[in-house]
Amino acid sequence: MAKKLGKKARKFARKGLQTVQKQKRKQRTFFKKKSAPRGRGLNGEAPDENEENLNHERNVSQLDQNVGGGHVFDKNIGNLLGEEDEVELEDDFSDSDGYLSEDTECPYISENENENISRDDTARGTFQEENTEIKMQIAKQKKELDKLLAKDKEFAKFLESRRSQLEQYDRMVSDDEEVEGDEEEEEEEEQEEQTRQPVTQTTLDVWCWLVTEDPNSPALRNLLNLYHNASLFGVITFRNEKSAQIVSHEVYSTVINFVLCEADGIFRALLGVAENSNAERILMKLKSSKEWLNVGPLVKSYFKSSIKLLNQVTDTMLLVFLLFRLMSSVVFLHAFSSLGRRLIKILVRFWSTGEDQLSTSAFLLMKEVASQLSSDYFNICMKAMYRTFVARCKFVDDSNLARIDFMKSSFLEITSLDVQQSYLVAVSSLQRLGDVVKHSSTTKKKEDLMKINNWQYINCLNLWVKFICLNYKENNLQQLFDKAVRVIFGVTSLFTGPRFLPLKLKCAQMLNDLSLTSGHFIPVSSLVFECLDLTGVVTGKMDGDEEPRLKLSTLLKVPGNLLKSRRFQEECVRSSVEVLCTHFSQWSFHVSLPELSTIPLILLKRCHEKATVESVRRLIKRFIDQAEQNRDFLQMKRDGVSFSPNDQTSIDNFLLLEKSNAKSSFTQFYASMLQNSQIRNMVK
Amino acid sequence: MGKRRKVILPPELPPETPDEEFEISDEDVEFFSENRSFTNFLASFDKKKIDKHVTRVADKSEDEIERLYERRNRNNAPLDSRENDLQVDPVDALPIKTLDGKLQYRTTKNVRSEEGNVSTDLTGEEDGEKQGTNLIRLTKAERNKKLKKEKKEAKKLKEDEDIAPNSPKEKLRSEVLKEVEEEISAEESFGAKKIKLAEIGMALLEGPEANIRSLKELLDFCKDRDPQVVKLGLMSMLAVLKDIIPSYRIRELTDKELAMPVSEAVRKTRYYEYTLLRSYKSYLQKLIELQKEAIFKLVAVRCMCTLLEAAPHFNLSEKLLAGTVRNISSSDDVIRKLCCEAIKSLFKNEGKHGGEGTVRAVRLIAQLVKKHNCQLHPDSLEVFLSLRFDEDLGKHENKAEEKNKFTKNKKGKQEPMKHLPPSEKKKSKQELIAKTRGEVYADYKAVSFAPDSEKRQRMQSDTLSAVFETYFRILKHAVDASDPRFMSETSGFHAQPLLAPCLEGLGKFSHLIDLDFMADLMSCLKQLSGFSSGTHLQSKTFNVKNSDSNRSYNGLTVSERLQCCIVAFKIMKSNLDALNVDLQDFFMQLYNLLLEYRPYRDRGEVLAEALKTMLWDGRQHDMQRAAAFIKRLATFSLSFGSSEAMAALATLKQLLQKNTKCRSLLENDAGGGSISGLVVKYQPEATDPYLSGALASVLWELSLLSKHYNPSVSQMASNILSMTNLKPTQNIVNPSLIALNPIQAFWESTVQKELLKPMNAKVPPSLKRKRKREQDTEYYVLDPQKLRNIDSEVIGEEEVKLRFEEHFKVLRDISENERFKGELNRTLASISLYDEFKREKLEKERSVALKSGKKKAKVLVKHSSSS
Repeated sequence: MAKKLGKKARKFARKGLQTVQKQKRKQRTFFKKKSAPRGRGLNGEAPDENEENLNHERNVSQLDQNVGGGHVFDKNIGNLLGEEDEVELEDDFSDSDGYLSEDTECPYISENENENISRDDTARGTFQEENTEIKMQIAKQKKELDKLLAKDKEFAKFLESRRSQLEQYDRMVSDDEEVEGDEEEEEEEEQEEQTRQPVTQTTLDVWCWLVTEDPNSPALRNLLNLYHNASLFGVITFRNEKSAQIVSHEVYSTVINFVLCEADGIFRALLGVAENSNAERILMKLKSSKEWLNVGPLVKSYFKSSIKLLNQVTDTMLLVFLLFRLMSSVVFLHAFSSLGRRLIKILVRFWSTGEDQLSTSAFLLMKEVASQLSSDYFNICMKAMYRTFVARCKFVDDSNLARIDFMKSSFLEITSLDVQQSYLVAVSSLQRLGDVVKHSSTTKKKEDLMKINNWQYINCLNLWVKFICLNYKENNLQQLFDKAVRVIFGVTSLFTGPRFLPLKLKCAQMLNDLSLTSGHFIPVSSLVFECLDLTGVVTGKMDGDEEPRLKLSTLLKVPGNLLKSRRFQEECVRSSVEVLCTHFSQWSFHVSLPELSTIPLILLKRCHEKATVESVRRLIKRFIDQAEQNRDFLQMKRDGVSFSPNDQTSIDNFLLLEKSNAKSSFTQFYASMLQNSQIRNMVK
Repeated sequence: MGKRRKVILPPELPPETPDEEFEISDEDVEFFSENRSFTNFLASFDKKKIDKHVTRVADKSEDEIERLYERRNRNNAPLDSRENDLQVDPVDALPIKTLDGKLQYRTTKNVRSEEGNVSTDLTGEEDGEKQGTNLIRLTKAERNKKLKKEKKEAKKLKEDEDIAPNSPKEKLRSEVLKEVEEEISAEESFGAKKIKLAEIGMALLEGPEANIRSLKELLDFCKDRDPQVVKLGLMSMLAVLKDIIPSYRIRELTDKELAMPVSEAVRKTRYYEYTLLRSYKSYLQKLIELQKEAIFKLVAVRCMCTLLEAAPHFNLSEKLLAGTVRNISSSDDVIRKLCCEAIKSLFKNEGKHGGEGTVRAVRLIAQLVKKHNCQLHPDSLEVFLSLRFDEDLGKHENKAEEKNKFTKNKKGKQEPMKHLPPSEKKKSKQELIAKTRGEVYADYKAVSFAPDSEKRQRMQSDTLSAVFETYFRILKHAVDASDPRFMSETSGFHAQPLLAPCLEGLGKFSHLIDLDFMADLMSCLKQLSGFSSGTHLQSKTFNVKNSDSNRSYNGLTVSERLQCCIVAFKIMKSNLDALNVDLQDFFMQLYNLLLEYRPYRDRGEVLAEALKTMLWDGRQHDMQRAAAFIKRLATFSLSFGSSEAMAALATLKQLLQKNTKCRSLLENDAGGGSISGLVVKYQPEATDPYLSGALASVLWELSLLSKHYNPSVSQMASNILSMTNLKPTQNIVNPSLIALNPIQAFWESTVQKELLKPMNAKVPPSLKRKRKREQDTEYYVLDPQKLRNIDSEVIGEEEVKLRFEEHFKVLRDISENERFKGELNRTLASISLYDEFKREKLEKERSVALKSGKKKAKVLVKHSSSS
């Protein structure tokens, strides 16, 4: 399994390689030709590129938002939430250096034999080669220098006078990294470092033991400081080597592991709350207790270091582990709001860009934060997620379909934690979506239409439709529902012609969803009529089966060359039949189903006659048969009743029994059809 | 050239030798270190002076030096060019100065070679200045001339120029000057011309009689070379004419009149009118001429349109009209709009021209349509909609005559019969009036344009005949094109651009169509609307084969076919109240067209209008038909958007109200329908409303519609449902909704209107509060099982440990690497610094050496002197 390097490492790999190449170019004579370092160095580079791409994407999206004009819509949604939570409150974060004052009585055990760590335990492959090579070079150059120094005694003095200049070279390697780091929190911790002794494994073991025995032990502070050091390891060790308290990998991993695993329990023990007592009690404790005064700084240090660690580590599994460890102590975050913001920022990044497992665990932690802490946190979470979603849903293709789906559903999970709060956001964003449609329908300009005919718009609309569907039953969302339906119909009214069929189909699906949850009747069939009219005009060559299947779910507008192709028609008919299927199945036991299906059936029959492609014909035929069966069944049942159309209660009770245990072939057909469509639209 | 190099230059410096090559003997060093004062002279070196000498130009200030160099370079170049005797054309622009001081002329100047004096050839700036003043002086002279004789400016100039040059060189020069001057003076003259134009215009407006001659001058501007001036000329001419054109037509004088001696005043007026007319004529000619040129087209058309609007009564208006109509179908939007507006205003303000303009315009348009075979822009036919016909005109006179007129019209393309009403009655009347009013009337008639009603009537009938001729031509064309036999030629395109405005016009003027015409017209419309009784089935199969869904087999869109139905109904309604011709075929069309309708592709308002004219407005319908439509409309509203549904429901409601028996549809009569007609069972797919058996059905749709998401639709549905309980005589449940006709209902609930509805930002009270701190987390969208699995996937402590260790090693190695690199860099830098160090050292040593050298020298001098 390819291991990933830390952020630092990645940056370095990039820089290092460049330097190497520059040097190569300059001093070809010194170097024998050598290929770029293999192994981890390269591995490190690949994800780096990835992230750069992501960063670039992000930048582009920001740019887009700023361009205005073409993407006013972006701006609308982007600005929707205001910028209030962009402001970082640094107060309780940067005022302290993150170190706790230590008790001096803690034992430091130095075992010198352990200190001389043998070289062979360096990480496999990575920089070892390069390091040794560089070392050789240094030796070579040093020799040269010594020669020069020997030749000319004044040179030493001269060098001394140029010392400051030389030191710049030193810094050059790492300087700009601090500047470019996107999380600027790598503060220059150049504080007067009391000469901390390096901690040995034995010392650490003793500390751990002390702390497990008695949480109140002063060793805890030492441990947390060590943990803090570990979180900074790699960032500042180079600069002030004296501070390198951690010299062995065992110490490094042990301290992290120990702190992460035990910290929550220790804090709880210190505060005197039970291991599994609920959040309210802890919050109570947080507010007014003497213990908190002592424990607070410890907790803060713990969180701060952990957040740094989150920024440092890139290994997915380690991150997942970290997130899971943090989850149990989320409640404590209540006291440190800016730390919370910072954490959320990181989490949102993981959520939107990380791998499956990472994004899921980031989401879980976020959910924990949103549900356990005050509603401020909920708001921050939701808005940050929404903003990220808007920024990242501009393009839909096979590769990110699942991601967008995941983002949508996890966002919905968060929003449904507090419907009242999210309702407000939903109202304002739907309002904006509606305004865009309103504006475009008056101007009818192409650029205005483009604001709607893009994935960002459709995804947002879809998001809120899903939100309504999810919460409609338990809440009074009538207003949102009305607005959403109007906006969707507004969208469909703007686009005519077969090229926009995928867009219309999407709208129809949304309307079906809304209708299904609300129980209102929404006439969707006319949206697919145009699609049915289209069948029969196959001009493209009869492409073989090996052609990749056209995916309407990743299209909004059909490219012109596909319009009359067989593939497109197949997809089109299939999708519209699916839409009709959902529509019919919703009302399949309603008295007026026969009438509802009248016009669609007439058109479908006509379509069946026209269709030239066998698969399309078969599909339509099957659907017509089933729908007719449904109609006949209902007509038969209806003939037997005596109530009139205005007798609403009887109508509601009509065929209730049949509906509940649907065994008829048509219901099964509908169900299988819908299931198939879901499978088809899934990512492969 | 040689002269220039008089300055004595210092000797060249010895070639430079790198410092390293100097070997400084220990002796020297010693000497200098001992006699430090010997190096003093080095310190007192005037570096500047040395530099100056080294740069080899003596005794010049820096600026001078610069100029000197420049000149030297320049002098070299032009001499060369003169020697080469370039084929040079005279200059026509200012020179360009290159970086090395060379003056580049677009073509090198020959003049200079005559002058020959290099010394005058100073800096480029001076040269340019000189030329500039030269030019300005000349143009000043010009201006004086211009002020004297504005118009002949160009000619005079030429003459001057022609006389002046006597030598070829002179000629060359003058040509150059002329060209340059033209360029420069163009702007000035443009300004001057503008002023002149304004002056003439003002004078003309102040006293047209006195200054009528200036019209010619104005006209001359229109012949100017500068298009800008021409445009201005045209516009000012227009402004003047618009103002001074009299409200009467100027008549040409007969020979007899000319021969008669007249008073001074009359002569003046005659002269005035004559001049005006002549200028007007040539102006028009100019306009018509310019209209063909692309750059003037817009201006010319604008002028013509404005003139037509302002003075449609004046002489030569037919020419204007012809020019305007020619552009009525222009592809240029602006021009087309202008022309259409002009024609429309012509139609609207008949008082200005007494209707003659109308007749003429309509005829011209008719000809245009004929000429272009009905392929014009729809706008050009829309102007007919602004026509107004006075129906009462001549009503009190002979009714038979009117009928005659229409029969005459019927033949459309035939030459209209010259059928002037004999009307003795009228004659006697006029005699009576003549007796009573006498000369007053005669006078009035002479001055006023108002034609008598007879004339007006004639004109109106002419207009009508031309209008309908055009309409029928278009219809005929459409019918021909819709014939399946010709389909191959026309399919795919919208072959009938004029059909829509034509149908609209027919609908509007339907009451004026002759009865005899009706049959033909109706069959035309029938065919166009897509119905052909005998071949219906065939056409249907054809329809199936014809894949283009947007058009039916006859190439018309659904909206157009609906319009045909509407027109047919309007015609019948306005003319045939007495004759009860059944429009069954059209109903059948509508019945089927409801299925063809696609929202947003077809115009919903046309559908609503069709529903209104055919069903809503209609009188009592046949029960079968009414039932069929009721059923179809209800079904229709289940499949289409809310605005269409509203229009349909409004119609449905009206139908139910008028046809009380149809209310049985609202009830589920268990017995099966006592009043069901021929067909016992409802056939939803029938194409003929009579064969649908709708009476046997129940309006179940309404129950679903009452669940409609749109509150107004659902309200309407439940409203209709509640009609069940009403007695047959009772009407109206909710007055607010019944007031809506289908068109209103349609517009009430369009998507755009729906979107305007505001949202209440207030949080409804029943919203769920935060589900706080629930221990067992529930999931709504995501798969909880999957989420729980994540837990188990977390790696164990050992693994974590290992990974952290690995991570640590990487970090450590990296920082080590960084450190090493820093060190390496430092070392390398140190080594590279050695070079610098050496150089500095050398310099030091050299200075020391120099000092010691001096010392040595001094010592030597001492030695020699002492010896």
